[in-house]
Amino acid sequence: MKQTVNKEPSLANKVVSAIFVAVVLIGFLWFSVNSIGLELDFSTLYQYRQRLWEGFLMTVIISIASLFVSLVIGSLTAMGQNSRILIISYFCRAYVQIIRGTPLLVQIYFFYYIIGTAWGVDNRYVAGVVILSIFEGAYISEIIRGGLASIDRQQYEVARSIGLTPVKTLQLVTVPILMARILPALAGQFASIIKDSSLLSVIAVIELTQTVQEISADNFRMFENYLFVGALYFILTFGVSLFSGVLERRYNHEYRVNQYL
Amino acid sequence: MKKLGLMIMVLAIAGSLLMGCSTASKGTESEKKMLTVGMELAYPPFETKDEQGNPSGISVDLAYALGEYLGRPVQIENTNWDGLIPSLQTGKVDVVISSMTITDERKDVVDFSVPYAKSYLALLVNKNANINQAEDLNQPGKVVDVKKGTTGNIYATKNLTNATVNALSSETACVTEVTQGKADAFIYDQLTIYRQNKANPDTTKAILIPFQDSESWGIAVNKGNEELLIQIDSFIEEFKAQGGFVELTDKYLKEEKQTFDALGFPWFFD
Repeated sequence: MKQTVNKEPSLANKVVSAIFVAVVLIGFLWFSVNSIGLELDFSTLYQYRQRLWEGFLMTVIISIASLFVSLVIGSLTAMGQNSRILIISYFCRAYVQIIRGTPLLVQIYFFYYIIGTAWGVDNRYVAGVVILSIFEGAYISEIIRGGLASIDRQQYEVARSIGLTPVKTLQLVTVPILMARILPALAGQFASIIKDSSLLSVIAVIELTQTVQEISADNFRMFENYLFVGALYFILTFGVSLFSGVLERRYNHEYRVNQYL
Repeated sequence: MKKLGLMIMVLAIAGSLLMGCSTASKGTESEKKMLTVGMELAYPPFETKDEQGNPSGISVDLAYALGEYLGRPVQIENTNWDGLIPSLQTGKVDVVISSMTITDERKDVVDFSVPYAKSYLALLVNKNANINQAEDLNQPGKVVDVKKGTTGNIYATKNLTNATVNALSSETACVTEVTQGKADAFIYDQLTIYRQNKANPDTTKAILIPFQDSESWGIAVNKGNEELLIQIDSFIEEFKAQGGFVELTDKYLKEEKQTFDALGFPWFFD
């Protein structure tokens, strides 16, 4: 392995660089807004704080619920894809291919109005979580499958040679290595779930995007509304991104996850 | 050294982006003669597209007639309903002719011409929902669909506080929910409700009797654009006097006009 010298940049350098980036970004935004003579007034949003807060909470709740359900779907289908029973394997592969190959918007309409109606799922929130979970599950399935495939065969040889049972192998070898390798990618996927949940607004799930669309229909301040809501989404995803960075650093040290991801 | 090069590159990119902006804003000066008209081409037969995908409908003809009156070539900008007023505010379009009802809330942000048409709200209800008038909807457990930002939406949020109101982004989704029984009713204008009921006779029922005052449609311009507004007002007077709206009715809504007359409902352009 190549060893790189990892010299930490000086504090002054960091601060100056950060300020430079901030000035360029803010300046660009400011110039753009100014050049079309747009006056932004965010104070009109204040009267909607209750609805915005509820929408924000709904986005968080839907995202977290979808994360768990999609983890279950993703884990099962990832194992299923490698199954020796062809029916299971084909079923899981078809699922991953079809879901990853079609837009979420199409899936939302299809599942809510056709499948949902046929099977009596009328609650928009339940339907929303299920649809989002099915969608993200396909991506998580691929993340887990990739993680499983990346585990060195030698690990299993060692496990067998020291007499571990298949269950113990799973518990002591496969899962710890797998978790270390896929956790950062999973955290990234979680950020996607948060953003993708915005599309559930088309079936009137009152989450953050639906809230801001309703408010826009009311106060006609589309730019302020969307900029504000964009900032809210960014706070959520940036939080997840920081958390993902922490995970990456922690497992990088133990498992050198870097060379695989 | 490397870092300095990078910084220069970033500056160069940022600079060129800014330059790009300023030239873009200059570009619109030369096209000033063009009258850009914003409308959502999703409301047949007023704003829609023909088989070739060209804008067509009553509002489109009206827009071209306005352009002719002003002596300016017309360009139709197909814009989402939510985006129409922001397009006016940012100068992306000069006028909005999109069957837009004049409301107090909208008057705060844009200016309207004199009304050129009026319409009434109506209900498309599911056959099994047991709804006979708008008041029946105002109780817990009733689900009412509306299109986001329409006057139906405003009516429902104001008057149907006990019902669940779903604001959806398309008319089709609202109608689908009513036919499937996901929603009890859809509030929209008389004409659309009448047409959708004809398209779904087995699952829906139309309640066309007006349950509130008529809504007036106006042509919208950006706030403070007095000059254009005065011209538009005189255009509407002249167009009306010359029988332009009668012609448009004959061209697009002959059958519907007969039905409305038979039912005794007032017509859009009366």
